[in-house]
Amino acid sequence: MLEIQKLKVLVHEDYIDATVRVLGHAKIVQFIDVKENPEYWKDYLVPYETSTETRSRCNKLLTRLEKAFETLHIKPDLFSVPQIPFTTDTSQKVLAEVEQRLSELPIEEVKIYALASRIDQIIKDLGIKPEQVENGASLTPSEEMALDQIEFELIELDKTIETTGLSDHHILVERIAAKHLKDFNEIGQKFAELSKFVIDSERYFGKRLLTLKKTAESIASTIVNKLDFENIRYELLLMWTVVKEEKRITEEKQKFLRSSKTVFFEAWVPDTFAEDAINRIKQASEGNCMISDELPSLDEKVPIITQKCPSYLQAFGKLECAYGRPGSGDIDPLRIFAITFPILFGIMFADVGQGAIFVILGIALTYLRKKGKIQSQSDIINYLLISGEMLVYIGFSAIFFGFIFGEFFGPSGLIHPITLATIGPFQIGGFEPTQEPMKMLRFAILVGVIHISIGLVLRFVNEIRHKHYKFAPIPVCWIWLIFGSIFMWAYWGGISNISLWFSEGVAMLSALIILPLLLIFIFSARAEGFMVGVGFTVEVFAETLSHSMSYSRLMALGLIHSAMNYLFLVLGGVENGVFPLTSIPLIVVGTILVMIIEGLVVFVHTLRLHWVEWFSTFHSGEGIPFKPFETTK
Amino acid sequence: MDPSLLSLIGLAISIGIPILSAAVSIIICGTALAGVGTEKPELLSRLIITVVLGEALAIYGLLIAFMLIGKLPDITTMEAANQALIAGVVISVATVAAGAGISYSGSSLIAATAEKPETFSSNVIGVVLSEALAIYGLLISFMIIGQI
Repeated sequence: MLEIQKLKVLVHEDYIDATVRVLGHAKIVQFIDVKENPEYWKDYLVPYETSTETRSRCNKLLTRLEKAFETLHIKPDLFSVPQIPFTTDTSQKVLAEVEQRLSELPIEEVKIYALASRIDQIIKDLGIKPEQVENGASLTPSEEMALDQIEFELIELDKTIETTGLSDHHILVERIAAKHLKDFNEIGQKFAELSKFVIDSERYFGKRLLTLKKTAESIASTIVNKLDFENIRYELLLMWTVVKEEKRITEEKQKFLRSSKTVFFEAWVPDTFAEDAINRIKQASEGNCMISDELPSLDEKVPIITQKCPSYLQAFGKLECAYGRPGSGDIDPLRIFAITFPILFGIMFADVGQGAIFVILGIALTYLRKKGKIQSQSDIINYLLISGEMLVYIGFSAIFFGFIFGEFFGPSGLIHPITLATIGPFQIGGFEPTQEPMKMLRFAILVGVIHISIGLVLRFVNEIRHKHYKFAPIPVCWIWLIFGSIFMWAYWGGISNISLWFSEGVAMLSALIILPLLLIFIFSARAEGFMVGVGFTVEVFAETLSHSMSYSRLMALGLIHSAMNYLFLVLGGVENGVFPLTSIPLIVVGTILVMIIEGLVVFVHTLRLHWVEWFSTFHSGEGIPFKPFETTK
Repeated sequence: MDPSLLSLIGLAISIGIPILSAAVSIIICGTALAGVGTEKPELLSRLIITVVLGEALAIYGLLIAFMLIGKLPDITTMEAANQALIAGVVISVATVAAGAGISYSGSSLIAATAEKPETFSSNVIGVVLSEALAIYGLLISFMIIGQI
C-alpha cells in the first residue's frame, strides 16, 4: 500500500493563486477542507473569503465566451483542450488579461469565415462528395444571399439533420434502394419511391450546401483585410480553458484559511510525489512560503490511494467497494473475499452440471471481454462481462460441492456423495442435503464459525496495524468464545440438551463461554470505560449467536436449490441417474429457471453474508479514495 | 377434522402467506427503487438487494411447502397433521414479520441512499436483520417437519 503524507503550507497571499494553479496542473495533491475543525485554528486564523467579485468576473467571462461561440457556430466540446501556458500571476491579473484580449478579438468581422468553416464541417459529416452532386449551382444575382440569410438557412439545416438523423441513414437507404429499384412488385416499388425521396432530399441538401459554400466564399473574397479564423477559434478556446481553470481555483480556495498577509492550507500528497509537490510550491511562490510535511496520525481519516484491481478480481473489487472501501491503514480483504465468496456460493448452489455451465459461460464472457467483441452501453451486459472470471470461480466451487453432496442437475442419483472428513458430529460431505437436513445444518454452522473467525483474525491484524494494543486481545477472546460455543453445542448433543450445560458441564461452560466473555468485558472496560464494556460484551454475545445462526441459510438455500431441481427431475421421470430422452427439455427449462432466479437469490445471500456477518467483524467501509485536485480534464 | 385436510391447510398457509409477504415487500421496495432509478441509476445495482431479499421470503415458503408435500403420504394421525399445520403457521408468521421489516426499512434505505450514498453500509443492516427473522422461523418450521 502506498503511503500518504500531509503537507501544511503557509504562502504569501500574492502567490496563492500561482501555487494552487501549479498544483492543479500537476494533479498530485488533494486539498483538505481545513475549516471543518474550528478548534484547531480559530485563535490564529480566519476562513479565506474568496471575493465575490472574482467569481462573478469568471461567470461573466464565461457567458461572453459562450455567446461568442454561438455567434461563430463553434461547439467547444468538439475541439481538444489547448495546453495553457503556466503563469505566476494572480487570478485577478489573468482574468483582466483575458477580458482585454476578448474585447480586442474581431468577432463580428470573422463571422463569414466561421459560416464557411461550419458548412465545410457539415459537408464532411454528411459524407457528401462535391464531385458527385450535380454542379448546376451557379450564382445568379437574385440568388445571392446576404450573410444573415446564409446563417438562417444553416441553422435550419442543422435542425433538419438532427431531427431526421440523415447522416446515419443515407448509406442504409442507398443500399436497400440499390437492391429494390429493379424489383417490379409493389412493395419494391413503394420502397424504391421512399428511398428515392430520401436520396433526392439528400442531393438537394448537398446542392444547397454547396451553393451556400460558394456564396460564403464569394462574400469572403470581397473582404480586403483577410482574417485568420482558425487562429481566432484557437484563441477563444484557450481563453475558455483559462477562465474555467481560474474558476476552479477560486472555488478550491474556499477550503483555505488566512491571516492578514498569508494563506494557510493543508493537502494530502502520496509519498512518491511529496518532493515534487514541495518543489513546485516553492517555485510558484518564489520562496515566499513555509512548508511542513508530516505523517498523518493513526486515527486520522486519510484518503487511500486506490490501486487498480487485477482484472481477474475485478468483480469482487466492485462488490467490496459497493459496501465501502477499507479505512486508512486497514487490511484490504479483497483476496480473501475472492476465496470465501465462491465457497459460500458453491455450498448453496452445489451442482456439478449447473456449475459446469457457469464455468463455460464465464470462460465465454471473459473471452469476449478480452477480445473486446461486445461494446455495450447496457448495464446488465456490462455487469455480466465484468463478472466473467467470477462465474468461473463460483462454477468450479459449485462443481466441487456438487460432488460432495452428490448433485447432478439436482439429486438425480448419478453421482454419489463423497465424504471428505468427519469431525465429531460434523460431517463434511457424504450425504444428500434433502435426505439428511440436520447434517447439512451442522455443516452450515461449522462453515459459518470458520468464516467468522477468519474475519476476527483480520480484525486482530487491523488492531495491530493501528497499534491499538488495548483492543488487540478482544478478537482473540472472541475466537475462543465462538469455537468454545460450537464445541459445547457439539459435545452435549445439540441445543435440546442445554440443561446439561448447567449441571454436568458447568466447568466446561465456564471455561469455554463465561471466561472469554469475562475477558472481553475486562479488556473493553479497561480501554473504554465500564458502561461501554458492559454494552460491548452484550453485543459480542448477541452477535456470536445471531451471526452464526444466520449461516443456517447455507442449509436453507442449499435445500431449496436441490428441491427446485428435484421437482423438474420428478416431472421428467429421472430415476437412479438414468435420464430418459423425454426428460431433457424439462431439465433444460428447469436449469434455466433455477440458474436465473435461484442463482440471483443465492448470489444476494452470499453477498449479504459477507457484507453483514463477515465485514462487520473487521471492515469499516469508511475509506475515502484519493482524488487529486485538477483544473483541467 | 380429517388429518389429511388439516395438513393440506398447513401446506396452503405455508406457501400462500410467505408469497403474500414477499409480494408486499417487493411492491413497496420495487416502487421506491424505480423512483431512485430515474435520479441515480448507478445506485440500482446496490439497492436491488432489498427486492431480492423480499423475493427470498417466497422461496422459504416454497421450501416448507415442498417438504410438506414430501411428508403428505406419512401424515395419518391427528398429531402429525397438527405438526404440519403448525409448521405452516410458523413460517407464515416469520415471513410476515420479515416482510414488514424489509418493506419499511428497505424503502427507507433506498430513500436514504439516494440522498447520501455513503450511509448505505450502515443502513443496510436494518434490511438484512429483518430478513434474518424469516430464517429463524424457517429453522424452527423445518425442525417441526423433521419430527413428523
